Amino acid sequence: MPGCPECVSACVCSDQIWLVYKGHPMQQFLAAQAASSNSSSPAPPPPPLRSRPTRREPQQSVNKEAAAMADEQQELTRAFSGLGGLGVEETALVSALGRWRKQPEKRASFRRGFPGFFSPAPTASGGAITIERCEDEYVRHLKTEFSRFKNLMVLWAMHPWERDARWAHRALHKHKKHQGSGCILVELACTRSAEELLGARRAYHALYSRSLEEDVAYRLKETEHAGLLVGLVAAYRYEGARVSEDLATEEANAISAKPGNNEVLARVLATRSKPQLRATFRIYREIHGKPLEEDLIAVGGICLQEAVRCLDAPAKYFGEVIAGAFKEGADKQAKAALTRVVVSRSEADMEEIKEAYVKQHGAKLVDAVAKNTHGHYRDALLAMIGK
Amino acid sequence: MATITVPQVIPSPTEDADALMKAFQGWGTDEQAVISILAYRDAEQRKQIRLAYQEKYDESLLQRLQSELTGDFQTAMCHWVLDPVERQAAMANAATKCIHEEYPVIVEIACANSPTELLKVKQAYHALYKCSLEEDVAASAPAGNLRSLLLALVSTYRYDGEEVDGGLARSEAELIHEAVKNGENGTTDDGELIRILGTRSKAQLGATFSCFRDEHGTTLTKVVTQSGPAAWIRSHGLHARAADHGEVRLGRQQLLCEGPEERDARVSGDRRGQPDPGGGDARGEGPQGHQGRVPEDDLRCLGASHRQGDIR
Repeated sequence: MPGCPECVSACVCSDQIWLVYKGHPMQQFLAAQAASSNSSSPAPPPPPLRSRPTRREPQQSVNKEAAAMADEQQELTRAFSGLGGLGVEETALVSALGRWRKQPEKRASFRRGFPGFFSPAPTASGGAITIERCEDEYVRHLKTEFSRFKNLMVLWAMHPWERDARWAHRALHKHKKHQGSGCILVELACTRSAEELLGARRAYHALYSRSLEEDVAYRLKETEHAGLLVGLVAAYRYEGARVSEDLATEEANAISAKPGNNEVLARVLATRSKPQLRATFRIYREIHGKPLEEDLIAVGGICLQEAVRCLDAPAKYFGEVIAGAFKEGADKQAKAALTRVVVSRSEADMEEIKEAYVKQHGAKLVDAVAKNTHGHYRDALLAMIGK
Repeated sequence: MATITVPQVIPSPTEDADALMKAFQGWGTDEQAVISILAYRDAEQRKQIRLAYQEKYDESLLQRLQSELTGDFQTAMCHWVLDPVERQAAMANAATKCIHEEYPVIVEIACANSPTELLKVKQAYHALYKCSLEEDVAASAPAGNLRSLLLALVSTYRYDGEEVDGGLARSEAELIHEAVKNGENGTTDDGELIRILGTRSKAQLGATFSCFRDEHGTTLTKVVTQSGPAAWIRSHGLHARAADHGEVRLGRQQLLCEGPEERDARVSGDRRGQPDPGGGDARGEGPQGHQGRVPEDDLRCLGASHRQGDIR
């Protein structure tokens, strides 16, 4: 499109992009650009994204075209997951392909107007010819966003036992250093029924020729919560409803007596049945006036807290994990957790999770998902979550 | 392999139940008749006899045997009449009641069974006692190495295959050697030992013990027997409980290495008087269901006889 470079650059130097990629190295570039745009600089300060340029009568039609172009580019940016949210808007991308067929200058201007993700790079030593090259991080980002739908569908098609075994294996081998990996194991061990956990361990044997317990014990042996994790993962709990109030009181007192000693708590968490544990947590809350998780925050040990939360109120825990995926600055594992939770719980306790989410965050889960995801990924999630 | 012999022509369960009732009647019991029936039936046939007896005479065969027989013979026959998995669950439950003396029973059940059989025992335990074996073991064992080891042995669901990692076997043989040496010197570092024994597959452990033997010229059994318990008593100044720890290690390791024949020989050597029919039975029989399972009352009687020291 001839002329009006200021309008083109106005599309994407927006506050919105800056907020989404907080902390991202690309964002630093964007932040610098936003900052410089506030101070006096040679480049003219770009107007906010959605505002139209000031209309002057003689240039009205030109401005209209520019505005339409700006809208199109913003739409494409959002479709490419450039404005936040998970997944990509496949239909919008395909329609842009069609509309801009045989118009490479439109694509070029889109790239120029997307400075955080495309940057000018000289192609020859003389620097005479430059192209807008794609930042490596943006390529990685796009790969992740495009593959969200694929990952969801592959996981959905798998047997639940195999899913759990693969998540556990990845948490141990790929994300070992990440603090969230212990939490994934705790989630698998504590929110699955005894038969489901046993099935996952069977699938682990079949897939990796090792037992899950031996891998957890070996890979996490240096960490402080190795004993707890091995115990949780190896548990084969009694599934009946029998609860002994006396035992619950005795164990609540034993836990209170030694708040820093995790051995008692680890033993209780790894062996007792879930109804029995809930009774113990309830009695603890009655004795101390606050839930056990709060006391554990002071003592430290995030795995213990997660275990107690998963065993006591799994729906609430899952609601928080989902909300964590939508937060600004959520990292890769937090975003991947959305797929994991929805796929694994859609046929289990999704209704309870929806209720817990509304209670915690005041908004319906389907609305939050629709707002924060795009394209086929969004549609698949909504289909799994249900009305 | 199983050694039980079943006659060519097997009477129906009802006929067997009638013959048993005839043996119980009158003064005393015709023990030979009881043996000639029950000792020559496999687990499925014995279950049918139990059901037929219950239906016809409206009393539990187990309770009748309890009242008619005495001593070790009574214990043996009562155990024999149970399903193999229920038998082991009952033994494990009795052992948790006096775990200081009876922990070898739990070690034996945890180690001698295949992972699938151990799982069935745990499922039978859930059905019979409305709680899990792990929680009873964890609650009754004293805090420390014994509890960690017993819990690890009982909870684990080992990989059942033959795949072995040679490098890992060598490195873990070294770790075991260090742990035993540290035990001699007074610094206990049993976390690694418990981790290895409690999680690795049997094939992997076999490879590790072979590496230990090749590297140090002596088997782990000998090393632990010679240096383990006594050294612990000397260095820690503990009482017999320290010897227990060594024995547990020894027993554990032996049980993992030995095959079924060695196990039978050891068990029948240990149990003076009555051969243990449960051992061969557990391996010779196929998987059993839980229909016609033994009521809780009968198992409580069995537990009582355990505590009286009738079984060792």
